[in-house]
Amino acid sequence: MQTKGRSIVAAIAGAVGFAAAAMHIESSVAETRGPVTDPVGVVEIDKGEPLQIGVYQVLSGPDTANGVDQKRAIEIAFAERDNILVGHPVLLHIEDSQCTPEGGQTAATKLAAISDLVIVLGPSCSSEATAGAPILWNAGIPSIGTSTSAPRLTAPERGLEFAGFLRTSYNDNDVGSSAADWAYNVLGVRRATTIHDGSVYTEQLANVFAEQFTALGGTITSREAVSPTDSDMRPVLTRIAADAPELIFYPVFVNAAGHITRQAKEIDGLEETQLLGSDAVFTREMIVAAGRAVVGFSFVANALEPDALGEGYPAFVERYKQTYGEAPIQGSHHQAYDAASIAIAAIEKAAVTNDEGDTYIGRQALLDALYATRDHKGLTGILSCTEHGDCGHFNFAVYEFTNSDPESFSPGVNPKKVYP
Amino acid sequence: MSFEIVTTSFRAKVRRRSLPGLALACGAITAISACYVCLMGLAVMFNDRWIVSGVLSLGQLLVGMLPLACGCYLAVRASGRSARQILFAAAVAGTLAGGGLVALLLLGETTALRTIFVNASPALRKFLSFGLGPGLASLVLCSGAALLALSGAALCLARKRLRSALVAGFGTCLSVGLLQDLLRIFLDGEGLPKALREHLFDWQGLTWFAAIEFFAAAFLLRWIWPQLSQRLDTVAARRGSGFRRALRWGLIVASIAFVLLLPVLGGAFLGQVMMLVALFILMGLGLNIEVGLAGLLDLGFVAFFAIGAYVVALTTANSEFAVAALPFWLALPLAAIVAAAAGLLFGLPVLRVRGDYLAVATLGLGEIVRLLVISDTLKPLIGGAQGILGVPKPTLAGMTLASPSHLVYLSLAACLLVAYCAWRLQGSRIGRAWIALREDEDAAQALGLNLVGIKLLAYGLGAAFAGIAGGIFATMVGSVFPHSFQLIISINVLALIILGGLGSIPGVIVGALALVGMPELLREFGEFRFLFYGLVLVIMMRFRAEGLWPSRASRRSSAILEEPG
Amino acid sequence: MTEVLQATKSALLRLSPVGATLWIIRIGIIALLLWGVVGSIIANRYSAAQWGDFVVFGLAIGSIYALVALGYTMVYGVLRLINFCHGDIFMFGAFSAYFAAAPLARAGTLEEDPVLGLAAIFAVAMGISAGLALLVERVAYRPFRHVQSLAPLICAIGASFVIQQSARGLFGSTVKAYPEISWLQGDFSVLSWAVPKLQAIVFLAAVTVMLLLYLVVMRSKLGRAMRALAEDRDAAALMGIDIDRVIVFTFLLGGLTAGVAGVLYALIFTQVHFFMGFVPGIKAFCAAVLGGIGNIPGAMLGGLFLGTVESLGPALVLEGLNIPAPYQLRDAIAFVLLVLVLIFRPSGFLGERIQRRA
Repeated sequence: MQTKGRSIVAAIAGAVGFAAAAMHIESSVAETRGPVTDPVGVVEIDKGEPLQIGVYQVLSGPDTANGVDQKRAIEIAFAERDNILVGHPVLLHIEDSQCTPEGGQTAATKLAAISDLVIVLGPSCSSEATAGAPILWNAGIPSIGTSTSAPRLTAPERGLEFAGFLRTSYNDNDVGSSAADWAYNVLGVRRATTIHDGSVYTEQLANVFAEQFTALGGTITSREAVSPTDSDMRPVLTRIAADAPELIFYPVFVNAAGHITRQAKEIDGLEETQLLGSDAVFTREMIVAAGRAVVGFSFVANALEPDALGEGYPAFVERYKQTYGEAPIQGSHHQAYDAASIAIAAIEKAAVTNDEGDTYIGRQALLDALYATRDHKGLTGILSCTEHGDCGHFNFAVYEFTNSDPESFSPGVNPKKVYP
Repeated sequence: MSFEIVTTSFRAKVRRRSLPGLALACGAITAISACYVCLMGLAVMFNDRWIVSGVLSLGQLLVGMLPLACGCYLAVRASGRSARQILFAAAVAGTLAGGGLVALLLLGETTALRTIFVNASPALRKFLSFGLGPGLASLVLCSGAALLALSGAALCLARKRLRSALVAGFGTCLSVGLLQDLLRIFLDGEGLPKALREHLFDWQGLTWFAAIEFFAAAFLLRWIWPQLSQRLDTVAARRGSGFRRALRWGLIVASIAFVLLLPVLGGAFLGQVMMLVALFILMGLGLNIEVGLAGLLDLGFVAFFAIGAYVVALTTANSEFAVAALPFWLALPLAAIVAAAAGLLFGLPVLRVRGDYLAVATLGLGEIVRLLVISDTLKPLIGGAQGILGVPKPTLAGMTLASPSHLVYLSLAACLLVAYCAWRLQGSRIGRAWIALREDEDAAQALGLNLVGIKLLAYGLGAAFAGIAGGIFATMVGSVFPHSFQLIISINVLALIILGGLGSIPGVIVGALALVGMPELLREFGEFRFLFYGLVLVIMMRFRAEGLWPSRASRRSSAILEEPG
Repeated sequence: MTEVLQATKSALLRLSPVGATLWIIRIGIIALLLWGVVGSIIANRYSAAQWGDFVVFGLAIGSIYALVALGYTMVYGVLRLINFCHGDIFMFGAFSAYFAAAPLARAGTLEEDPVLGLAAIFAVAMGISAGLALLVERVAYRPFRHVQSLAPLICAIGASFVIQQSARGLFGSTVKAYPEISWLQGDFSVLSWAVPKLQAIVFLAAVTVMLLLYLVVMRSKLGRAMRALAEDRDAAALMGIDIDRVIVFTFLLGGLTAGVAGVLYALIFTQVHFFMGFVPGIKAFCAAVLGGIGNIPGAMLGGLFLGTVESLGPALVLEGLNIPAPYQLRDAIAFVLLVLVLIFRPSGFLGERIQRRA
């Protein structure tokens, strides 16, 4: 009896002692490898070895379409260069972060543990980035958010742990307040209603819109909410109709937006009401979902510049269709593509290859190259990164759908830009 | 309702079918399953992950396992027949299965299958045809499937020793191939010679000679295992029971030490995975009391988890919603108490509800909590969709437990404590009262048990355990968002206690490792996570309802049922 | 007076804690309802036409719930089991019928001969739903025929996920839209009130299906066998009824109604999506319980009631309680109703008492 007890205690004590002694947080330290010295760390890639890039997106659950779309866009960005970067093949490590903070944390922890991981593209949800970006930067890996639009992630007071985080998605504050400005000043509406679906992104946008609209002097008749899985929007639209608003702003995703757009036509009192969405519906799927009611439906979005559009976007869509059997399924794929594009440019700038073909990339140097991105031509326009990591180029524009045939989807034509 | 009768996989009926009919049916089902796997996109997606680099991909393995299993099943079902008949039937079934895939390939080439099935892509055609032309590919598919079915049948017909050795060999090879990410991190981090890692793994998977080495090693080990264990037994018999006891305790101490050292050795990711597993073990222990012991199927379990997380967040966070600024070590027991109170509140309305109704009623209650938490109604109080940020990490003796490698010890300690409580409860009077409640509610009441008290206690305790898990979760992630508390978590916990075995504490651990640990290691297939849970539930209830590590009571009753006469 | 006081006092003394809690819940609910309704009426936000609209929309979605609930109620009546995957069978039928509807629309059949086109769509949906229901019966229910336990329910939960994810994997995660049929657009005018044609047709279809089902169950031989099985399975077996066949027939009927419900849902809401069946499925179960499980007119009544309350409730009650964004809590109404029914009247509106008082 005594030996047994003693041996257990001894084993546990030993393990705890060992663990306590070994307890240190993995973090990056200044080092020199090859020709490169860097205060945060150096990635070394020998000749013939792949260049490892991490991707974490939401790949399961209700938001699957968003993450899958962006993952595919990233894959296309590299496939276009035959998966070669600075002379090395590209190896993508793809993780599912489930659009939850614990999912983001786990995915980021796994990616951070891969030695010689250069950069991470993602995540898709702001809650994931809140948990994941600090973990990655702690290991010296910069990350570029692709559809994380929460303002606090690039706010000046965001904290040092987010120093390694940039994003190509726009800032919710910009979208919401610009939309309110446009509605008040350009359209001239004075009464508006907002609908959100309980997700972080839509609620934030709706709130910002409501605040700005009220600040300008308009009236928000009511602030509604639905569940993302709701299909019968008629009662909530009837409720909205009782206050006779001139505009309904619903920055929700395609499923709910389709239902609202279709059913608004059937409600007495909403015949003249302007329907406004956000760029979550900037996809062919919206035309499918809303059918004939999509004609005249407008949404606020990032203006896709004509020359970037002309060069890149149709070819991108074609390639996407060829590879995956369907057109892009959600509205953030161009941001993901641009994140990859910026990353590629920065890596090419910061990488040093010696005569034997080994490549060295300083981590701080890479981050500096990312922040120094100026006038980069992407699918979403000309991108420049601010000192707090906002690379998302936001040129406010309003688009309107003109044709209810899904085959006629063509950004710039259907939907066409109606403002500016 | 008697639980015992269902929680065994003993089947009394044996129907004898004609061999040709059996072969055709097996072949047809395998063909349909193979087409299903291909059209779901599983084959192509898994194809990107190599097990043995350049030789065997996970996709090929998945599709190849189907005819193999078919052959094995035939051999088992037709066990009375001669070997030649069985092998012939297996070949027929395999050819039929291959024919199904050929049909899929040809349909894909000729018709616009992609307008209906999005995954009938060029990549799938390439996967099925191995890059060859349609005629040659058809031949390869049919003969390949037939060969696999033959090997499956041969495997199941072989002698036990050979079979178990072969299975051990392949199993080891496959496990090492699947867990390559973890092993690579381990090998990289421990200062072991880089040459070892390069010998075993290249960038994509196991190298083929490493695969052969692992296979050979495992095969040999399993082959000589009977002799080895005999040797050990004779040595132990000679040395007396003391030696055996010492050996057993040595093993237990070694495994405890291994578990404790794993987060340190394996790095932050393994620590993170262990933490998630530990949290699900905590929740599983709670649900085990409600479902496994007391027979109260609770599908709204995630609500208690949410309540625990929110309590800790609201009392410790550095946020405008915080109600107090307690240290973590006070907030955690508070979370358990509040969650227990919530459990009592949940239990009260559904006291008189039984069986299937209870499942849906509790599901409804759980969804009500989720909707309230995400709603604008409670937004001024608990943050609504934007969640509560800034939950601090716990501090112990001046040291902050910041990284997962540290927090995992906290959750392991909580697990130990809760498992001990659960174990003692199971053997106590209350535990027996719960089991009586589960077996037959009316008889229990007739025997004088206070049903109300027992049920409420079950709900309360189960909820308290979930509350503890929620509290640790809040501090682990550092923020609490309502979208983390979906129905799928309740289903996940239910699935893992069923997988492990209802009413069995080691079963909860096994289930958590399998259903939470494994998917974490196969994360890029997150798209199919829910499919996986559904399949596990169906397959477990059909074929092994008592779970992978059944409780002692289930084992006893299975033994009774299987006794002859 | 003193006798009343005496009676109340002794009644209070006899009250157990559980009884007391139930009374508190009763009084609380009624108080909340009254407060909400009064508040809404005072606010006077909606016109009579709009209240009417709420009811009409509620009846339309209620008809769908009713049709799905019919499947639940039949299976429960005969097997005493909840077919958890019924909602997903409904989704799968609607989804598969889309692949018939789209080519028909392209070929113009839906414009030239809408009745034929619709019949084809219904046939495809009903066939596939019925087939899937039979498959589920074979895999998830038949092995557990002889035990009364939670195993089939858990198996069905698993099957529900498998069906859902199969739809996503096979057909994609994007939304598909049913073609619009001009024959179904427009309004009927009923008593100077414009009722949308589509909603009216859905309601009538639901009633028709219910009547047909009722006839089958009450008059036909198999229906009688179903009722016998529902009463006492062993006695029915002893009477010579082939249990397997009757159960298969029950699932078949359930699958057919699910197929009809699926197409009607798709015609009203146009979009089909792989996740569309889960929530209506649970709500339909709540509806079945509301009406009295095992009872066919009860399922119909429960469905219509639930649909109406869901549509009307937030505007009528929650708004009066000053709850912001009341329609966000719409799903919660179904669950609250379910819990209340299970506490206070477990047999539902029309069901027999199946649970004795504790």
